[in-house]
Amino acid sequence: MKFDVRDLARIAVFAAIIAVLGIPGAIPIFGNAVPITAQTLGIMLAGAVLGAWRGAAAVVVFLLLVLVGLPLLSGGHGGAGVFVGPSAGYLFGWILGAFVTGAIVHAGHRRPTWWRTALGCVVGGILVIYAVGVPVQAFVTHLPLGATALSSTVFLPGDLIKAVVATLITMGLWRAYPRAFGDQVRVTPAAKVDATVR
Amino acid sequence: MIALYRPGTSPLHRLPAGPKLIALMLLAIAITVFASNAWYIAGASALVVAGYFAAGFGPLEILRQLWTLRWIVAVTLITQVIFLPLPVAATNTGRVVTVVMLATLVTLTTRTSALLDAVERGLGPLRRIGVDPARVGLVMAMTITVVPVIAGYAASIRDAQRARGAKPRLRILVMPLLVMSLKHADELGDALVARGAE
Amino acid sequence: MTTPLPSIPASPDGTPPSRELAFEGVGVDLAGVTVLRDVTVTLPQRRIAVIGSNGSGKSTFARLLGGLVAPSRGRVAVHGHDLVAERKQVLRMVGSVFSNPDAQIIMPTVAEDVAFSLRRRGLTREEVARRVTATLERYGLAERADAPAHSLSGGQKQLLALSAVLITEPALIVADEPTALLDGRNSRLISALLLDEIPQQLVLVTHDLELAARCDVAVRFEDGRLFEVDDPAPVIARYRRDLG
Repeated sequence: MKFDVRDLARIAVFAAIIAVLGIPGAIPIFGNAVPITAQTLGIMLAGAVLGAWRGAAAVVVFLLLVLVGLPLLSGGHGGAGVFVGPSAGYLFGWILGAFVTGAIVHAGHRRPTWWRTALGCVVGGILVIYAVGVPVQAFVTHLPLGATALSSTVFLPGDLIKAVVATLITMGLWRAYPRAFGDQVRVTPAAKVDATVR
Repeated sequence: MIALYRPGTSPLHRLPAGPKLIALMLLAIAITVFASNAWYIAGASALVVAGYFAAGFGPLEILRQLWTLRWIVAVTLITQVIFLPLPVAATNTGRVVTVVMLATLVTLTTRTSALLDAVERGLGPLRRIGVDPARVGLVMAMTITVVPVIAGYAASIRDAQRARGAKPRLRILVMPLLVMSLKHADELGDALVARGAE
Repeated sequence: MTTPLPSIPASPDGTPPSRELAFEGVGVDLAGVTVLRDVTVTLPQRRIAVIGSNGSGKSTFARLLGGLVAPSRGRVAVHGHDLVAERKQVLRMVGSVFSNPDAQIIMPTVAEDVAFSLRRRGLTREEVARRVTATLERYGLAERADAPAHSLSGGQKQLLALSAVLITEPALIVADEPTALLDGRNSRLISALLLDEIPQQLVLVTHDLELAARCDVAVRFEDGRLFEVDDPAPVIARYRRDLG
């Protein structure tokens, strides 16, 4: 996967969007032990808007900045600690989650549709993240896998709401500013002309 | 953005960033896997406390860092107590706290710029699969530049919506944020091309 | 200001190097729409004002010179170098300044951002540091060298953007509405720098007709076509009349 410099700009900006979503909208259900914030909304959107590779790259860049000590996780968390704590797996899951979301939303370079976007956000933005996060949490806390999975369902309602919001935003953005999706989608000529002439 | 680093001249501060990160990961995994009884954990946490003292941090700093972990402690303990007997739950929670405190010590004693360099060097072997570490470094630096800009957009959108009497909601906040941010990304892409980053 | 003229390689036959912008039958299509057509003009003047209404093609003209869009037809030469065949060389000769200062800043701090322009130029670390310090001193940003770039005022940010361009000693500066987002004082500062202090050839796209009047020649675009090229005074007078 080769990124050109314009891709680099979009990746950097999306990594920054994920960081900014950690500032205001933090909904601290149980505090910030397992990040349940608007930031997972950012993960879904990164995949849905930038596509699989660029979306995952934006998440990687964001997490690297957290690793080097910038307090970018919601609630001002950051540093190496979050990568060895109970929520470490969810953070790693974000990378794969953004990728899968993008792969589903833009399957076959087609334009995003309602059902494919919703499916992508639920599978990539929830299932994949839990699939990576729960086993790592069980490993770190020595709680049996089944019990860990059961306890993680507390966060499911919030994540489902975020998947709905991410779908609404993605489809709204597709109508209002198709240019946002870059060249990964074959835009219909009429829509593209509208968006590119300055 | 305030990094989590605390300046100092201790031996821990002077250790090179790369080896420090690798040592952390190995230690964290070792403690997570092997420290299964209270004695081991007591020993490990004594070592971590000694590390904080060696780095020039007093008991106050240790307490302050523990306070930032209060939610991790609460969530871990509560979920454990539901499924496991109290002594086991306490042991597991103690181990999680020890590992996270150890990682935090690395973050507190290592300059962000040194960690950035270490990350870039660490990515070297990925060159073979087409990852250019210099580009990753560039995107990380660009993200740091862009975060305040995007945060400014978010603040102005919130203010504008408040001025019109709208209750700021996640969806109507994020939609314009994405449009403004991605337009910014396009301009940034222009600047990158114009400044010879192709 | 005593910046030496940027060195332009002399032609093999010893004739002085050209400082002309030459357009020959140039057209630009973007996403199937022609936004610039049939531009043929030679511009040897130092200060070139580009005016015209919104969507007239004047920004595309600037983006063409900055290497941001490619000509779909025709030939563009910057000081004798073909824009397409010698793209790399031309990109190094041209420095672009845009209206939004925020969107031109790439690195987190002032000094790092200026230094970014010099990467991949084969300079030693010391040489880069020396040039960065000299440039920041010349444009009054030395005290803010290690400050986060976003903490600068709008005018200082634009000064930073200009410094980051001038440090590479380009032969041509392309400025697309560089003062549009600045207040009066900063706008005067930036325009004085561009019009009176730098030695480089300047293409200044602007809505500010007073700035255009201070240039050596004015080029007016309308509907994607070159409308007229002449001394600024008559071009501006006609433009004012057409605006009603």
